[in-house]
Amino acid sequence: MNSKTKSKLNNKSIRQSLTTAAGCLLGATANAQSADDWQTDVALLIYNETDRVSAFEPAVSFKKTFEDDSVLGFKFVYDALTGASHNGAAASDQVQTFTAPSGKGEYEIGSGEVPLDDTFRDSRGNLSINYEQPIGRFNKMLYGANVSAEHDFTSIGASATYLQDINQRNTTLSAGFSFEYDQITPEGGIPVALSEMRANSLTQIRGAKDDTRTLSEVMFGVTQVIDRYTLMQFNYGFAQSSGYHSDPYKVVSVLDANGDLIMSNGLNGTYIYENRPDSRTKQSLYAKVKRYMGGDVADISYRFMWDDWDVTSHTIDTHYRFNLNSSWYIEPHVRYYQQSEADFYRYSLTNTQATPEFVTGDYRLANMTATTIGAKLGFMAGGYANSVRLEMYQQSGDESPADLDALILQYNIRF
Amino acid sequence: MKFITSALLLSVLAVSGCSSLGVKPWERDILAREDMALDNAPMDSGFDDHIYFSKEASSGGKSFGGGGCGCN
Repeated sequence: MNSKTKSKLNNKSIRQSLTTAAGCLLGATANAQSADDWQTDVALLIYNETDRVSAFEPAVSFKKTFEDDSVLGFKFVYDALTGASHNGAAASDQVQTFTAPSGKGEYEIGSGEVPLDDTFRDSRGNLSINYEQPIGRFNKMLYGANVSAEHDFTSIGASATYLQDINQRNTTLSAGFSFEYDQITPEGGIPVALSEMRANSLTQIRGAKDDTRTLSEVMFGVTQVIDRYTLMQFNYGFAQSSGYHSDPYKVVSVLDANGDLIMSNGLNGTYIYENRPDSRTKQSLYAKVKRYMGGDVADISYRFMWDDWDVTSHTIDTHYRFNLNSSWYIEPHVRYYQQSEADFYRYSLTNTQATPEFVTGDYRLANMTATTIGAKLGFMAGGYANSVRLEMYQQSGDESPADLDALILQYNIRF
Repeated sequence: MKFITSALLLSVLAVSGCSSLGVKPWERDILAREDMALDNAPMDSGFDDHIYFSKEASSGGKSFGGGGCGCN
């Protein structure tokens, strides 16, 4: 062994000793992760709407940074949903009876009540994989793929984004493309658009067993460092979807000129299955500012979205993180959302007018405002980062189906 | 088309204007903090995107989402 090799070995062993010593100093205080370790995040979300849907969602994600600075991540989310969902029909001062989506069974709605389908029950599994691959010193690619399955819905998607740093890494430009393919297999088959719901003793008018939809999206972004304390982000997104966009479980009430129910098909009201256009083009502009403020961190974002269904929306979202000390923080969150209705939204139709080509009674396409108010508490326990957040989500609109209150409770732990 | 042209023009102007902004490499201590990451709570964002996607007519804007849902 020559002296050069010896010296190299000595250097190596000194470096190893130093690394071990430093590791002992740092590692004793926390689960200091070397670049080779997987970072694991576990979370549980409980989402509960008053009188409507409840969701129980555990999620787990794994992330690892490799020596070449590439990053691989996996995430799995499970969703268990129960409760009742608005079926699209208008509330009435008379008792209403509806046929369950399967065509077998019925449910009754009292006078003045929002028509909610309480036969709704579903579970969903979603797996996503992300890979970040450096190309050179100033550019990289982000790849994503995901698959999601429910008993009546399957979705697969993939995306690729190119990121380029310029201006001494103070500006990052991005350009991305994503594609998604959805298959809809509703209970009882796809209802024929605009056909009438029939009593469960009769045969329902259904078409194919399933249908599909595709979605393509491009997004361009700029992230800019403003100063030592401030970051900004701007995005423009253009999304185009085509295929089956209707909600197979939603109907629209057809009333007489006095606004009363019209008996038909063995039901005491007339309800037609909705029909949405078979394409949609959405665009969005998004801006976010994040700033460090004397130990705390504040952010605010704004999104403007518009589409060719005539929906426009404004979203303002803000957090303020009070860093109480090195291991505790509290972060209030406020979000405000406002949307205008789609041009084919109708709360109900009257039998004296011709049936429009496209119509929905889904309040989610109606005029609506929504607010979220809550806070997150973060703390270190047992060397792990924990957080719990509690938020209230409230929607309101022109008609009663849009009035909804929900509670969001989430627990996170990072290993 | 007119809108896209204006948006592109605006972006180019914004980016060229941005060259006077920013910090030197040794001034990145605060920007490197975990709580200064643009999305420092991806689990929360993932859940929120899914909730709002299923309850409102808008979605996305920030980044590509985590897959569709039936969301009836």
